[in-house]
Amino acid sequence: MPKSIILGISQRRAFRKLVENSRERLYRMAYAWTHNPHLADDLVQQALCKALHNQKQLKDLGAAEAWLFRILSNCLKDYYRAKRDLVSTDDVVIADEVTPEHDTEKRQLVEKVRRAVRTLPLAQRQVVTLVDLEGFTYATVADILEIPVGTVMSRLCRGRRALKEHLIDVGRTIGPRRQTTLKRVK
Amino acid sequence: MKKDEHFSEEQLNAFVDGELDPEEKSRLYNESAHSPELDQRLCQLRKLKELVGHAYDDVPPADRPGGPPLRRSGPFGGALVAGVLLAIGVTAGYFGHGLISTEMTNTPAATAQIQEQADNYLLHVVSGDPEQMQSALAHAKYLLDSTDPGEIRRVEIVANERGLDLLRSDVTPFAEEIRTLQENNVVFYACARSIQRLEESGVKVILVPDIRQDYTALDRVVMRMQDGWKYEKI
Repeated sequence: MPKSIILGISQRRAFRKLVENSRERLYRMAYAWTHNPHLADDLVQQALCKALHNQKQLKDLGAAEAWLFRILSNCLKDYYRAKRDLVSTDDVVIADEVTPEHDTEKRQLVEKVRRAVRTLPLAQRQVVTLVDLEGFTYATVADILEIPVGTVMSRLCRGRRALKEHLIDVGRTIGPRRQTTLKRVK
Repeated sequence: MKKDEHFSEEQLNAFVDGELDPEEKSRLYNESAHSPELDQRLCQLRKLKELVGHAYDDVPPADRPGGPPLRRSGPFGGALVAGVLLAIGVTAGYFGHGLISTEMTNTPAATAQIQEQADNYLLHVVSGDPEQMQSALAHAKYLLDSTDPGEIRRVEIVANERGLDLLRSDVTPFAEEIRTLQENNVVFYACARSIQRLEESGVKVILVPDIRQDYTALDRVVMRMQDGWKYEKI
């Protein structure tokens, strides 16, 4: 068998494995962007479908991860374009849904943070979650969202500033409690 | 003037994200050691970053449609079964490329392993336009007819959204064509989620006989593409 074919198969296997391994992370990101499990699931399926269909376009397997997230981001853009023609997707804010009250403190905290993230315009929400959930560098986020690094930084800045305002009371209530716990450990 | 005013908000964010160059980082460390205000701002940013990450440690799974009668997967949860389906797809991709995939074992073709494997095709019908539906069925027939002697080719047709009409017994004008293709081992899949959506809107969905169901049409598309199948959207 010619060597090039062996390499081709090997790379294809590696790519498929990467796709499979990225599935959960893509779903988590899609959920953080939409806060809608059905929509997140659909977006991930579409993204995987497109990625597999267009895998020949990928020249460097090392760039595959960012490429997958870029496809996911484009799927979301397509979704909003179809839903809200002529409205800038950068400004899309998800309506604050009423969520059931949960008993545990952790659940309350999680819901509160998610509510705050939901209020961010999509452009800021995407940057904040790509950096904070996936730990992507600013350059990678710029590559995924196809925007300049400076724009990544300014959106991150505005997004975090808004989150801080929403979560200011979390700092007040959670902060002292953590300190108490630490004192007890000592 | 406060000491932390030497640093922009962007710089502070870059610091907590590990994006500052070593020189700037050292400068910021030094100033924060002498400025409780700056130190507090950095703490808040770090905390915010952790909070956001923590809020999505466990995200709710997609609520996938329940198991209809023809589902192959049995009573397991959606995510698990989807994982298994994908695992099968990946396994087939790993070990079955150019061979016969795991689902072939009960088909006549499975007994003919010495035959060559032609490209397999998944046709995806999303349109409710009868012309498009007919085109998909004709294409499936062409793919079977154009297989060289001694080769085997598998063809599947998956339908969702408006394309689901192709497989609804009370709507489709192509029940006879579907049956003929099924006799030639073309396998049809309906998207369970599309069925669920229709039923939620009050439409009773009855499929023509022997239609299988997948959680979503795209699940099947992804799985088959991972198997190395050709994919065509119609």
